[in-house]
Amino acid sequence: MTSRRDFVRYGALSGSALILGIRRTGDAVTVYKAPARFAPNAWIAIDETGRTVLAIGKQEMGQGVRTSLAMILADELDADWSAIELVQASPGPLFTRLNTGGSWSIGGSWRPLREAGAAARAMLIAAAAAKWGVDASACTSDTGAVVHNASGRRLRYGELVPAAARLTVPTNARAKTAAERRIVGTRRARIDAPHIVDGSAKYGIDTRIPGMLVATIVRPPVPGATIAAIDSTATRRVRGVGAVQRLSSGVAVVATNTWAALKGRAALTVQWNEGENRGFNSADHWKTLQAGLGEAGVITRSVGSPRSATPNAKIVEARYDYPFAAHAPVEPMNCVAHVHDGRCEVWVPTQAPNRVQRDVARLLGMQPEAVHVTPTLIGGGFGRRLAVDYALEAAELSRAIAAPVQVLWTREDDMRHGHFQNASLHQMFGAIDQSGRPLAWRHKKVASLHNLSGPPTADDLKDPVAYFQDSMWGAYDIPYAFPAIETSYVRVDVPYRIGPWRAVYSPPSTFARECFVDELAQAAAADPLEFRLSLLRDAEETVKAGGLTIDRARLRRVLELVRERSGWGTPLPAGRGRGVACNVYDGETHLAYVAEVSLPNQRRNGYLPFTVHRVTCAVDCGVVINPLGIEQQVESGVIWALSNMKGEITFKDGRVEQGTYRDFPVVRMSEAPVIETHIVPSHGEQPFGMGEPSVPPLIPAVLNALYAATGRRIRRLPVLATDLA
Amino acid sequence: MADIAIVVNGQPRSVNVENDTPLLWILRDELMLTGTKYGCGVGVCGACTVLQGDRAVRSCQITAADAAGKRFTTIEGLSSDRNHPLQRAWLEEDVSQCGYCQAGMLLTASALLKAKPNATDSDIDAALDQHVCRCGTYPRIRRAIHRVVRGAP
Repeated sequence: MTSRRDFVRYGALSGSALILGIRRTGDAVTVYKAPARFAPNAWIAIDETGRTVLAIGKQEMGQGVRTSLAMILADELDADWSAIELVQASPGPLFTRLNTGGSWSIGGSWRPLREAGAAARAMLIAAAAAKWGVDASACTSDTGAVVHNASGRRLRYGELVPAAARLTVPTNARAKTAAERRIVGTRRARIDAPHIVDGSAKYGIDTRIPGMLVATIVRPPVPGATIAAIDSTATRRVRGVGAVQRLSSGVAVVATNTWAALKGRAALTVQWNEGENRGFNSADHWKTLQAGLGEAGVITRSVGSPRSATPNAKIVEARYDYPFAAHAPVEPMNCVAHVHDGRCEVWVPTQAPNRVQRDVARLLGMQPEAVHVTPTLIGGGFGRRLAVDYALEAAELSRAIAAPVQVLWTREDDMRHGHFQNASLHQMFGAIDQSGRPLAWRHKKVASLHNLSGPPTADDLKDPVAYFQDSMWGAYDIPYAFPAIETSYVRVDVPYRIGPWRAVYSPPSTFARECFVDELAQAAAADPLEFRLSLLRDAEETVKAGGLTIDRARLRRVLELVRERSGWGTPLPAGRGRGVACNVYDGETHLAYVAEVSLPNQRRNGYLPFTVHRVTCAVDCGVVINPLGIEQQVESGVIWALSNMKGEITFKDGRVEQGTYRDFPVVRMSEAPVIETHIVPSHGEQPFGMGEPSVPPLIPAVLNALYAATGRRIRRLPVLATDLA
Repeated sequence: MADIAIVVNGQPRSVNVENDTPLLWILRDELMLTGTKYGCGVGVCGACTVLQGDRAVRSCQITAADAAGKRFTTIEGLSSDRNHPLQRAWLEEDVSQCGYCQAGMLLTASALLKAKPNATDSDIDAALDQHVCRCGTYPRIRRAIHRVVRGAP
């Protein structure tokens, strides 16, 4: 923590050789003579001893970003990979883009990090060349040192720090070509792994600061419910309980330790005015969604004449239903805040440190710079931790009780008061001619918008098509070349919080699209994989959908690769079936799956009613940063999506019915398939994300395989044993 | 409140807590051994797993009164210097993603291999099915355990 604070201060004075450092430990501030330091930008600091510290400006939640971003920086700097140290950046003037979501970390950081690394390397080379009295072009960098090619002389970066720090930061340093890279493209193990396996890695929940109290919060059982009465008599008898404090979000029980806070909360009686949402239940909501099918909605994409009748066309129609789901990361929401002396310190596992700083400052009426946010490792994010509700609770509570406090959510709190992936209906219409050629495609989605910051504003809706396109990833950007396409969105509001999910809005729409295209292939009596290829072949190689460009050639390439590597078309044991699905995620990563499934001999309660034996993946995510990281994100996306076929969130009397992994089951060890990942070599100079693209096409690949294995088309999630009986 | 004496990672420890305090919170709040994680509090996720003797147990389900006088091993005590064969295998296979559930996985795997040094896939399923990993590290956990069973470095 100390080094982080030091680092930001150095960063703010980048380019100069500093001799004084400021160290803040708790309340004590000391000024000390620091080793000279070369910090040409916010990302890199090297001191005279050669200690090389790289700043990470995205949040680590398992997607491997601390490793992959460090690889980009270290490669361009030609740092010694085995000797680098990382520091997690805190929000501040130099770090304004720390929020992490949408699989944009790699794509968005690629250029700035390479520029930062290249500039630093050029300065170190120039410093060495000046010392040797040679031309900089006669020198190269190599693993933390500059080498004079002709003489073989070598100076370590640490030795060059004072001289390099006096140079002007170049604005046009040449970044490495692909052939010059030594770290990017190689397999690198997760940089935090050693600390994970020995238990020393610190997550938000592990934050312990002097005098810290612990709080749990009773929240409204029904959204919008207000407090009628509180009886805290029994709570106050629990040893260790201090304050019982009303907050915007509920009633906090504050204690000296976690167990007392939990017991105190269990003993608390809160009577609620449940309000207008007390009658909300899932069955009614499905009816509301169905009623939405009758509305025209907002047309998000229109090509040709999708509603003109075609004589002799084969028409296929189907509806796909996708349920509410919870993120349920294993580390529940938590945050430590300490409001004191006109400032606020926050330690928080968040995907959105800049948002935490901004919103906590607003809440407390402070300037943003008075709020210091320390982002920690995150025990699973998946989009849940883009919302900052739990940080606001901690800040509000710390101010109220004038003490440092950790707000801890229980598992039940997490499942019942998160923001959900919303339920949606997808009405699909397809028309092909008698030879199976595509004629028309329509996809209507009835769903709920993200509402974490309220309903869309007039400003949001200035361009309603663009606004609703965002909510239809996977639908409006259909890659297939139908001469007529219409996609539309019908909005149905819900009283629950709806927000980002892993792969954001894409999974439900991609599920419907990729299952339905299989139904069309069936109608055309075509092989589902060949049918997809044909829909991508006889058309323009790229197609614009909204702001996205879909590259059909790249999508074909991953389909062809997965066809080859999965053994598509080769015989399978009896009862087994193969299914395929593919997707272009946000116009970027292209990915295809083939899944092999069968029905188990013996059904087991609490487990998926089918067995996924093997999943083969082919992926083109542009420039490959870390092949190992790509494989891990494919495995992660497969298993995440499989869980989505297993559990759902339902409502009764305004309340969420689930509370733990018992009633919201997720995939376990024995359900995990063998997963193989095949990476298409890069054809470009831009990398794309991998945390999310591996999610959307998995469910349709599995359902299409189930159809191949059993002849049953399943169009609703989760998949129940009765669907396959 | 009662003084509870337990042995954690080979060291005798004494804490003054309520009798019903789960071992999980003794470890995390009193002994500052935060490697043991809270995930559900009701014994269904496995994140809080520790060893009691050679047996994997859920520390959220063991009260202070039940824990008294017993010996426990947490992730911090699985080895000195990350040299337990499973920890080495975990690094070789690069198992972890977010890492939050991994302490529990490692301790259950170590109990499994102690009981069944030649653990099969179905042994692995039976033992590790009691754990939740939302990042989906299961295939690599399986490979890491097989690696140790094979005696591979």
